[in-house]
Amino acid sequence: MDVVAVAVFAAALAAIALEWTHRTKVALLGAAAVVLIGVIGEEEAIAAIDWSTLGLLVGMMIIVGLTERTGVFTYVALRVAQLSRGRPVSLVFLLALVTGVMSAFLDNLTAILLVVPITLLLADLLRISPIPLVLVEVLASNIGGTATLIGDPPNIMIGTAVPELSFLDFIVNLAPVAIFTLVTVTAGLALLYRRQLAIAPERAGEVAKLDPAADMREAPYVKRSLAVLLGTIVGFFLHAPLHIEPAVVALAGATVMLLVAADDVENALERVEWATIFFFIGLFVMVGGLEERGVIDRIAEGFADLTGGSRSLEALVILWGSALGSAVVDNIPFTAAMIPVVQSLQGDGFDDAAWWALALGACFGGNATIIAAAANVAASGVLARSGKPISFFGFLAVGLPATAVSLLIATVYLMIFQL
Amino acid sequence: MTTIKDLTLVAACVDSGATFEEAARLLRENRLASIAVVDASRKVVGLFTDEELLLGISPRYLDELRHTAFLEAELPSLRERAAQVRQESVLEHVRKAVTVQQDASAVHAAERFVHTDEAALAVIDASGRFCGMLERTELAHAMLRRLTAPTGEPPDRQS
Repeated sequence: MDVVAVAVFAAALAAIALEWTHRTKVALLGAAAVVLIGVIGEEEAIAAIDWSTLGLLVGMMIIVGLTERTGVFTYVALRVAQLSRGRPVSLVFLLALVTGVMSAFLDNLTAILLVVPITLLLADLLRISPIPLVLVEVLASNIGGTATLIGDPPNIMIGTAVPELSFLDFIVNLAPVAIFTLVTVTAGLALLYRRQLAIAPERAGEVAKLDPAADMREAPYVKRSLAVLLGTIVGFFLHAPLHIEPAVVALAGATVMLLVAADDVENALERVEWATIFFFIGLFVMVGGLEERGVIDRIAEGFADLTGGSRSLEALVILWGSALGSAVVDNIPFTAAMIPVVQSLQGDGFDDAAWWALALGACFGGNATIIAAAANVAASGVLARSGKPISFFGFLAVGLPATAVSLLIATVYLMIFQL
Repeated sequence: MTTIKDLTLVAACVDSGATFEEAARLLRENRLASIAVVDASRKVVGLFTDEELLLGISPRYLDELRHTAFLEAELPSLRERAAQVRQESVLEHVRKAVTVQQDASAVHAAERFVHTDEAALAVIDASGRFCGMLERTELAHAMLRRLTAPTGEPPDRQS
């Protein structure tokens, strides 16, 4: 049975990495297989599902989906483009900043789906290629998402699995290194692309003529939606002192949003990406199978032997190993499998450095390849549908060096401040 | 019972080898919302509608955008895209065909319109060959005539 549990999970990872079919189908097939074969019991399979993670995801999908309707994110993206006044370096930095901040407080996939279409339009108006700007945004979204508990799926999973880590802990421990990494990587990209992004003054004038607030004037419930979004973010900051789980904050915010800013509840609930929710359910059950058969404990033991019990070495292996695993597979299933490994390694103790290493590795590793994070896949999909496809190797040429730089920064940060 | 073959159908179709421009011209000249694209045996392979026309001549990222009220000027790529799309195969711009059998009832056609939100349905015979396009307006008017007929008699067929 142990071999079956490992084989099913490995086959699922391979199918996801090779895009054999939709990842949700793969995860659900794997989950059904481990339950039907008897790797994990039915009750244990239900218990293996992390409902807090799902609650947090559903709540944020509703809040962000209904706020997006107001056009406020379009307003922000257009305003920063106008503020750049046609200067390529300013444009790159401002788009990276807005994508990074949106990723940190919404989530990186949503940020990409909001910002990339606007970027395609801006590139059209400015008569420049959108690909450099979209690459900047993808990298910024994965780095920005690292900064908070809700910014990137790996952080959501870690934050809900480890109750000792609060929303504020994530910001205090990860935001500084994420900001420094974002500035460093963006500076490199600005340097790399400065010639490709040369903008004619008359084209910059076309962007200046846009009226960014036009959509907000037409949209319903702008103030209410923004108030609920901001209230929810404040709730995240206060969840630890108030002893409320982040998932409860998100679901409470979503409930208030439905009450005050949604006329049609069924339409509002369509904002929930059910494919993503079921993807997580499938993963949790498969990982539950690995735990049930003792595979996770044996991996943790092997890991401890490899690092010889050294705390520093352990954290650095987690950092670089997670980045590699995320780059090759996808950072969500990799993190789902790594969380119980790190829990097993810690035994009865608690060392937050290992969790920061996992978060940094999985989130930064998401930048290495086009398949490493959901935001990358989404951005490349939008580009392809828009007739401006980016190849696997085209992404790799930028993503891999950016990831290497990010991981070096993370290594130095962990060594100095956490170990 | 009124069946679909009692209604006026428009024989609007292009061959699957047609270009986008040819399909668009047929749509425009006949003021239609939708035409069928058929293969050599007159089987329907897809529909070309005014939505495909709009998407075809617009920048491809248009359907990715969720807000555009801020736009006042014309997009630079609009003319480029319109010029580029002309010679593309119509097959690159078709949607899945919604078909109904010509012997089906008008109520069935009404149900198909309601649930698919199409402006026209492709009507086919028993062997699957294209008979014509049934426009939503034609069906709606026919049903209205039937409902308002004083004796409940079927309405006269009008061509």
